[in-house]
Amino acid sequence: MIRMRRYLWRFIATAALLLAAGCATVQPWDRDLLAEKKMSLNPSPMLQAVDEHIYFSKEASMGGMDAGGGGCGCN
Amino acid sequence: MRLQLEPGKAPKVSVRDALHGAALALLMIPASAQAQSAPSDRIDVTSLLYGEQGRTEVVEPVVRFTHLLPDGQSVSAQLAFDVITGASPSGALPSGTVQTRTSASGHVITSKAGQIPVAPFHDERVELEGTWHKPLNRLVSSDLGFHVSREKDYQSLGINAKVSTELMRRLLTVTVGGGVSHDTVFPTGGTPAGLSDGTVVNLGSNAKNVTNVLLGASRIVSRQWLVAVNGTETLERGYLTEPYKVISIMSHVNGTPIGELTDKRPSTRNRSAVLLSSVYHLSDDVLYTSYRYYWDTWSIRSHTIDLKYRHDLGDDSYIEPLLRYYQQSAASFYTVGFVEGATLPDFATSDYRLGRLRTITAGATYSFRPDFAAGEFTVRGQYMRQFGNSSPSNAIGIQRNFDLSPPVNIVAVVLGYSFDY
Repeated sequence: MIRMRRYLWRFIATAALLLAAGCATVQPWDRDLLAEKKMSLNPSPMLQAVDEHIYFSKEASMGGMDAGGGGCGCN
Repeated sequence: MRLQLEPGKAPKVSVRDALHGAALALLMIPASAQAQSAPSDRIDVTSLLYGEQGRTEVVEPVVRFTHLLPDGQSVSAQLAFDVITGASPSGALPSGTVQTRTSASGHVITSKAGQIPVAPFHDERVELEGTWHKPLNRLVSSDLGFHVSREKDYQSLGINAKVSTELMRRLLTVTVGGGVSHDTVFPTGGTPAGLSDGTVVNLGSNAKNVTNVLLGASRIVSRQWLVAVNGTETLERGYLTEPYKVISIMSHVNGTPIGELTDKRPSTRNRSAVLLSSVYHLSDDVLYTSYRYYWDTWSIRSHTIDLKYRHDLGDDSYIEPLLRYYQQSAASFYTVGFVEGATLPDFATSDYRLGRLRTITAGATYSFRPDFAAGEFTVRGQYMRQFGNSSPSNAIGIQRNFDLSPPVNIVAVVLGYSFDY
């Protein structure tokens, strides 16, 4: 498991480097579409939170989205 | 769901959009900060109506108040209230005859012959969350949060923090965060000893501590494409057992349940997840995709694929179909039951949520801003179906005749209303 954890952080670091190394450049004046609320990674946080709560109580997995959040005895 | 993917077609750019973009560039305002340019307050209200066929029902109203401050700061508070009623599988095996079970609170429920026994319950939960968002400078922002939740037999207190910084001319955002939570479990009727006949060994509470860390990066790839990778690590320590679940002991002659032992899980669990996300702007519509890989020290591995497609119906409304597929492997100590006389392991559970499982979800969100009222209304409907391992290899005798994990059908509806004032 320690090895798996090491892989996780290596993967994240590699992915972050790849993201950083990408040569694509988008000028600030070309970000009109990206500026729209619907272009955020989580445009409906409250709906997302409801979904996460349901899946947390019905499945064995969690994580990937955010740090923190309310705990519950549902799982 | 019909997807209108036109990757080769560049989105139309209106004069207004171009001027908007140019104005942002001149002011060097990050896209995410636009909403903060006009301070106001916001109220979001949602209500979840959740029902499993023949099992649990949940009603969860949530209200969130957000106060925006002129310098980009914001504070928010959220109050949620859950009412949960119904019954959930006890972990026991069907006996082939009618079974009656009484919960710790005195509710009685009868299971038909061959049906998975369920245990009735009723609980209420209240939760308060708070968040403070503060830009530290032009490129760095922070979030601090807390939560307090309480239910009949569980309490959680936690804090969390997150810092995000924009790099590479704001093409890349890196986020680092973490949280700690101190939870307390105080089962109704006392805490039973693990893998026992239910003998209570503790009338007090049991501690459970949760620590999690987050590392994430999001990257603008093109004018219409944003991608992200997130990694989270969650460490759980303390009482992680489900005190109300049981494991059947099967007769070695014919598989009939002849007794029950309580559930017992390890007191540590390290949970890891990697999430890859993409947001792609088509001509007008937006395609959201994500994939998550999860693994933990209980030997559970899972894959989750999530797709959402937002189609604007006009300036004030949109519809967003969604599809989700989830698949997990079983925990190393999951068992359908014990055979009479067998040596007991250190840990065991028959909770189907720790067994082999698949979930398929389909649904849609519809959102609109009506003429007759301020604000935005949202309705989301989802249908979920869970499939477990109906015929586990260690079922013996009559248990081979039963569906030991019948599909679970779930309907969830969320009603939402948001307005700024």
